[in-house]
Amino acid sequence: MIVMKNVSKSFTHASQEMFHALHNITLLIEDGQCVVLSGISGSGKSTLLSIVGAIMRPTSGSVEIDGNNIVSFSDYHLSHYRNKTIGYVTQSFHLFESLSVRDNLLAPLVINDLSSSKIENMIESALKQANILHKANKKVFTLSGGEKQRCLIARALVNDPSIILCDEPTASLDKKNSLEFIEIIRTLHKLGKTIIIATHDPLFEELDCVDRFYKMNEGTIE
Amino acid sequence: MPNKNFIHFLLLLLVTYRNKHISIFIISTVVVALLASLFFISTSIKKEIDLTLDAQADFVVQRYEAGKALSTPESWIDEFTQINGVENVSARVYGVHFFEPAEEYFLIVGIDFFDEHTTQALQKLINSIDVDKFLSKKNMIIGEGVKELLDYYHYFDYYIFRPPDRGKEKVYIYDVLPKETQIISNDIIFMDIDEARKVLGVEDGYVTDIVLNIANPLEVQTIKRKLIISHFNMRIIEKSAMKRYYANLFNYKGGIFLIFYIVILMTFFLILYQRYSMISHVDAKEIAILRLVGWRINEVIWLKVGENFLVALFAYLLGVILAYVFVFYLNAPLLRDIFLGSQNLAHSAGFIANINMEVLGLIFLLFVIPFIVAILVPVWRVAMKEPVEVMR
Repeated sequence: MIVMKNVSKSFTHASQEMFHALHNITLLIEDGQCVVLSGISGSGKSTLLSIVGAIMRPTSGSVEIDGNNIVSFSDYHLSHYRNKTIGYVTQSFHLFESLSVRDNLLAPLVINDLSSSKIENMIESALKQANILHKANKKVFTLSGGEKQRCLIARALVNDPSIILCDEPTASLDKKNSLEFIEIIRTLHKLGKTIIIATHDPLFEELDCVDRFYKMNEGTIE
Repeated sequence: MPNKNFIHFLLLLLVTYRNKHISIFIISTVVVALLASLFFISTSIKKEIDLTLDAQADFVVQRYEAGKALSTPESWIDEFTQINGVENVSARVYGVHFFEPAEEYFLIVGIDFFDEHTTQALQKLINSIDVDKFLSKKNMIIGEGVKELLDYYHYFDYYIFRPPDRGKEKVYIYDVLPKETQIISNDIIFMDIDEARKVLGVEDGYVTDIVLNIANPLEVQTIKRKLIISHFNMRIIEKSAMKRYYANLFNYKGGIFLIFYIVILMTFFLILYQRYSMISHVDAKEIAILRLVGWRINEVIWLKVGENFLVALFAYLLGVILAYVFVFYLNAPLLRDIFLGSQNLAHSAGFIANINMEVLGLIFLLFVIPFIVAILVPVWRVAMKEPVEVMR
């Protein structure tokens, strides 16, 4: 369960001007729920996702995940949390472009002391779930946008995390690829993963697998 | 500590992004090769100097008057022999001979072959000498440089000297001094003392200098005092002073180059530091991805340091091999003339291969450690940032 209490995030611009990205956000997401955060650019949905994903710390407030306040974690424990609990599908294709799809999936695994066969099984399973097994040995830079997206999903799934975060997952995809992505989300939802999607794509508005739909505006949830 | 999967991933990135490292690798190899060449040359020179000077007498005594070197009376030999603690006193006749065809100078050294110590000392330099055979006719033992020059002018077996009395002295080549002694003996000609007198025009009863040994090294200064008291008009050159002279001469040249080298090295590390400080978009993205998928700061640093350590290590190994070939096979063109430019004749043969682990260790410390430090700080600074900040 994810419990966010009074979470705020402010940035200081180069001109010393303060920008408040989030204002006292309080949110509860149950295990296995699929939640969509909607809103225009700059509404704070990506910032919220970054805080849950532990790649950004809030200015104030607490974020409890399975009873642990991750805000108080050291970087060492926060990294461990990211590796074990979070699968992150980023907006841009943050991949090693010159590595193959399979080798990209190694990155989250090599820091854990796993046997080669175990690693191979985990990669195989993630590639199948993301429907990209047939491109496993292709270099990322040779893939289409939709295939890169599936590679990102496979990497997010490879460690079998309980929470999947998707930041504008269909922003770079055409309709066909977007629908394929939604199918994968549907499957993951059935598997009991907690899914949070930050998007302004109307495709997600009437999705049957979405449990909660939050609209964000100027750093608050409406 | 990184596991084998981590190392596999590190090698995978290194091989995949090899083009990113190639320029640093090439510059590093050149820098290491230059440093290793300097060290190889200086250790090789030191070995040659030690080998040659160890065979020399402890003292060289010359007559000096009004600041001018004069012929030394042979009678001084008997006087010196009377001093307790002095042994192996012998005379030497030497001087410079102008070899007109090539406009070069040879150093002629006359030796008393009936003096046991002198021949023993020479035998350290040349093992095959048979004194009886040597003295059976007018013979000489020559340095490598002299031999090459005489060969060039077709004096394959002998050379005819023109003494100051306008006569002719035909002297046969008995042997050539070994290459190991070349740094000092390249332009030397050894011959019998009487023959040297004739060639150089030294009067009978006089020699150029007198050499002697001291039985007990602790008495060196006492005996030096006694010698000075016996004759006011003398100059004494100690073996240790000669060693210092040669060491200073070559260390001075090596030192100048080391200063140049340190400047180059510092510039290189500054460039390296700057490169990582203004870390490229690709490098920053790599670090951000790793942090995103749960890598800790120390793991990112292990990866980046590991990558660059391997680049530095291979550059080090290749640089050392290139320096070895450059110095010991190609005879260090350009650098050789600068380091060995103190003699009349240019050196023709190479340096004697002499490498010890201390030198290799020193090169490693001087290069690889600063290399790693230069990249460690900028990488650490990027890894310390929040992943989202780097990803933007």
